[in-house]
Amino acid sequence: MSSHPAATVTFDHVTKRYSGTGSGLRGAVEDLCIEVPAGKICVLVGPSGCGKTTSLKMVNRLIEPTSGRILIDGVDAAAHDVTELRRSIGYVIQQVGLFPHQTVGENVATVPRLLGWAEDRRRERSDELLTLVGLDPAVQRGRYPSQLSGGERQRVGVARALAADPPLMLMDEPFGAVDPIVRERLQNEFLRLQADLAKTILFVTHDIDEAIKMGDLVAVMEIGGKLAQFGTPEEILANPASDFVARFVGADRGLKRLALANIGSLELRPAVTAHVGDDSSEARRRILADPFEFLLLVDATNRPIGWIGQRQVPASGVLEEEMASPMSPLLDQHTTLKDALAMLIDAEVQAGIAVDERGAVLGLVTADMITERVRPAPSSPG
Amino acid sequence: MDIPWVLDHLDELALRTLQHFGLAALAVGVGFVLSMGLSILAVRVRLTMGPIVTLTGIFYTIPSLALFAALVPVTGLSLFTAEVPLVLYTLLIFVRNISAGLDGVPADVIEAADGMGYPRRTRLLRVELPLAVPLIVAGVRLASVSTIGLVTISGILGDRFGGLGFFIFEGYRRSFPTEIIAGAVPSVILALLVDRLLVETGARLTPWFKTRTST
Repeated sequence: MSSHPAATVTFDHVTKRYSGTGSGLRGAVEDLCIEVPAGKICVLVGPSGCGKTTSLKMVNRLIEPTSGRILIDGVDAAAHDVTELRRSIGYVIQQVGLFPHQTVGENVATVPRLLGWAEDRRRERSDELLTLVGLDPAVQRGRYPSQLSGGERQRVGVARALAADPPLMLMDEPFGAVDPIVRERLQNEFLRLQADLAKTILFVTHDIDEAIKMGDLVAVMEIGGKLAQFGTPEEILANPASDFVARFVGADRGLKRLALANIGSLELRPAVTAHVGDDSSEARRRILADPFEFLLLVDATNRPIGWIGQRQVPASGVLEEEMASPMSPLLDQHTTLKDALAMLIDAEVQAGIAVDERGAVLGLVTADMITERVRPAPSSPG
Repeated sequence: MDIPWVLDHLDELALRTLQHFGLAALAVGVGFVLSMGLSILAVRVRLTMGPIVTLTGIFYTIPSLALFAALVPVTGLSLFTAEVPLVLYTLLIFVRNISAGLDGVPADVIEAADGMGYPRRTRLLRVELPLAVPLIVAGVRLASVSTIGLVTISGILGDRFGGLGFFIFEGYRRSFPTEIIAGAVPSVILALLVDRLLVETGARLTPWFKTRTST
């Protein structure tokens, strides 16, 4: 449904200084240079006062930079008329800032109204957006913000920011004001939305886990408004550029990386399999030759039935379903390595079974393979 | 209480009540418009807030009789003279309420409005003023009730003014309590009616406000 292409945003040596001593560093930004490609989510993350919100507000010029330029599709934001610029950029803030005296429908249609859309087009658009963010327009459009739950308010805030289909969205701790369970749901819903919308999004948070989860790119900032590191979440977790970044992402960054990769990214260990009714001696010979000590019994469509220890495979006869003992956890391509590891530990087995969409065996996953995947990479080849 | 006298003067009572209402409404209306300008100035240009509040406070302390005495030599026994004190007394009430209403608009609402590209004037008209309505209505109620009471005093300027105050002055001169009561009671009733009307108008203007308690 996105008609506007997403925008590229470039921070070109952007600096914001505040006068005054002592607290002058708070919210300041020092020579920020980043480029956010169209359609990506870039998360600005850092401790309180690191200038991440200042950086965001310089894009829609709620704050003007002291020096440097912010280019939106190559055009300096300062060259735009400021109200037109703001109407072309979606803006979501933590306290949401819904207008208490307007209904949900009117709130969502704010920018369309400023742009002079006809009333029925506004209503149609706001119904469409409410549906998009998972609210029933028939129920919600006539309510006032005070009648909504925190999660519903945040959804309305997102719908309102999307109203004029902006190529760029600024989101300042958009899910910060709700409890962790609702936040996680809103994050997931938003990522699903973004998969279709493909807007360019600048997203501010102080929560590194949220940054890693939401960001295609993450810009870690430190007090004084300096960019500490800019890269994909994987790069930042694998190779923190400084002690500050390493401390900020946390001692558990290895574990965090596990949440970023899924089974699909692993080179699977081939499983030694046999079908029910296969010749037992042949299967025994194959499993004894393999370092992994369990034979995986599968059905006619290669779906796993269970394990048979190599010593338990009879020397003669055929394999029967009753010989197999309980199964390992089944992992699909999209299971994160973190979840996979947790399942392996819980099930107290040596290997998980990776299966395709139809449930057929692809190969085996061991805990060693998972931990190997996130060992610090060699810093440079050679 | 001389009931036959009251029945005999119903026409005149009605006329005076109407005049009373008119004098009060004019003062409240003019005071409201002036105060709206002053309040917006005070909120926009912070430096002016102190002087504006102080000045309207000083107006409020001037005894009305002294003000009439000072104005009559200049502006005569005119409507203008009658209205000036009434208007001045509303300013303090209005300025306090309107500026508090505008100041009370939550910062996140202002930030969202700015961030979405509201020009300043549109923001004032569509966001700040509507949100200030509950406090503004409270100010109008207070100003109306106090002005309706004060109108009587302008009767001192002569028969053409004072509204129901005319009866009070005349009754006092003639030592005729019925006439004093006939002036005072309708004035009180008028104040109560107007107040009731304003409460209902305010509720209709702010459908979002009462729903706050319903969840």
